[in-house]
Amino acid sequence: MPPHLLSDYLFVLVFLLVGLVFAIAPVLLAAIITPRGVGLKRLTTYESGMAPIGQAWIQFGVSYYLFALIFLAFDVDVLYLFPVLVAYGSFPWRDLVGIALFVGILSLAIVYAWCKGVFEW
Amino acid sequence: MEATLLDPRMFRIVAAAMALAAFVGLNALVLVYLERKIAGHVQRRPGPFEVGPHGLLQPLADALKLIGKQLFRPAGADALLFWMAPVVSFIPVLPLFLPIPFDPDLVAMHVEPGLLLILAFTGINVLALCMAGWGSNNKWSLLGASRAVAQSVAYEIPLLMALLAVTFMHGSLNLSEIVEAQGAWPWQWNAFIQPVAFIVYFTCAVAETNRAPFDLPEAESELTAGFHTEYSGMGFGLFFLAEYANMIVVCAVATALFLGGWQGPFFSGWWWFLAKTYALLMVIIWFRWTYPRVRFDQLLNINWKWLLPLSMVNLMVTALVMKLF
Repeated sequence: MPPHLLSDYLFVLVFLLVGLVFAIAPVLLAAIITPRGVGLKRLTTYESGMAPIGQAWIQFGVSYYLFALIFLAFDVDVLYLFPVLVAYGSFPWRDLVGIALFVGILSLAIVYAWCKGVFEW
Repeated sequence: MEATLLDPRMFRIVAAAMALAAFVGLNALVLVYLERKIAGHVQRRPGPFEVGPHGLLQPLADALKLIGKQLFRPAGADALLFWMAPVVSFIPVLPLFLPIPFDPDLVAMHVEPGLLLILAFTGINVLALCMAGWGSNNKWSLLGASRAVAQSVAYEIPLLMALLAVTFMHGSLNLSEIVEAQGAWPWQWNAFIQPVAFIVYFTCAVAETNRAPFDLPEAESELTAGFHTEYSGMGFGLFFLAEYANMIVVCAVATALFLGGWQGPFFSGWWWFLAKTYALLMVIIWFRWTYPRVRFDQLLNINWKWLLPLSMVNLMVTALVMKLF
């Protein structure tokens, strides 16, 4: 790895560290100066004032999970377009045909999901 | 490794990180004030008025109050996830500002794939919401988190496609280069060359930052406060700070890519950049007090049925037009 690249990564790390300090400092300050009341119901899970009914960690139906599957298809494929944009324009017509094929096949994912009725629920 | 630690640019970077952290904090104060004041005037009332002249000190009082509130963790919650979530939501905020060019010289670091860096770090926020929602062991939080995940992954795709259309024109991911390629006058800006991409990007940006009318992860009338229901004091404060910082970032990226960045009629400079960014921020605030919240199936269908096909067609048209001319 070239040295300038290494220091570039180091700079991102510095920003992350400053972000960490900036995030933790007010929480620590609050933890020191705030009151520490302990009451009977203080640590109950909030459920609009009622006594909570059961746990939240249960199985429940997320009816839009199919959207997540389409997302996977798209997100992985859109990544491939980023290198393309840097090289685009270096061929007469070949890159346009390539992109048209790629985006065309990608858009079939929406057509398929639409026909399957994923978007109606 | 020592050679890089003693890099002469290191001092500059640390100073930039501190300055940007201060900028984020200050901006949150300004935006809280602006939001409450605009909300007030939209609803024909004065908004905050008592603390300081015209309520100017209200955000400071709010911040002090937040720091002074007791920190709670509900008995059933997962301690590690619960406390990590607000910190994780705030940490990636600072690197987001790294490649943003406020001025030709006023940029923390010239990153060649700057846009890619921003896109990579914005993805972390949804993890934090997920951790908060699951870790709280609260039904509202869990529902809010599951909505947040579905929403932000959905709107990421047209957002990427809209950005791709613009970057295709310039063949670069460097924000400074894209700003320089645009002119000083409004008709030379990318928003006028790529209006569809601009509208798609801005809609997605509002959704990605969980702002009304797409604020379903924290819809207060349905889910109390969504993923941050169980957070008190600074735990909530950090989520809040991160949300406002993310708003600034999406508006700053829109300014750089679509509105000519620091370039403006007569005198270019960072003041143009800030003016444009704040104008966009006020549009987002204006949205919140104008549009009712959408339903969740509407939210997902707007994205998959309209924004995504639109942005794909836009990308193809851009590629074709670039070949023709």
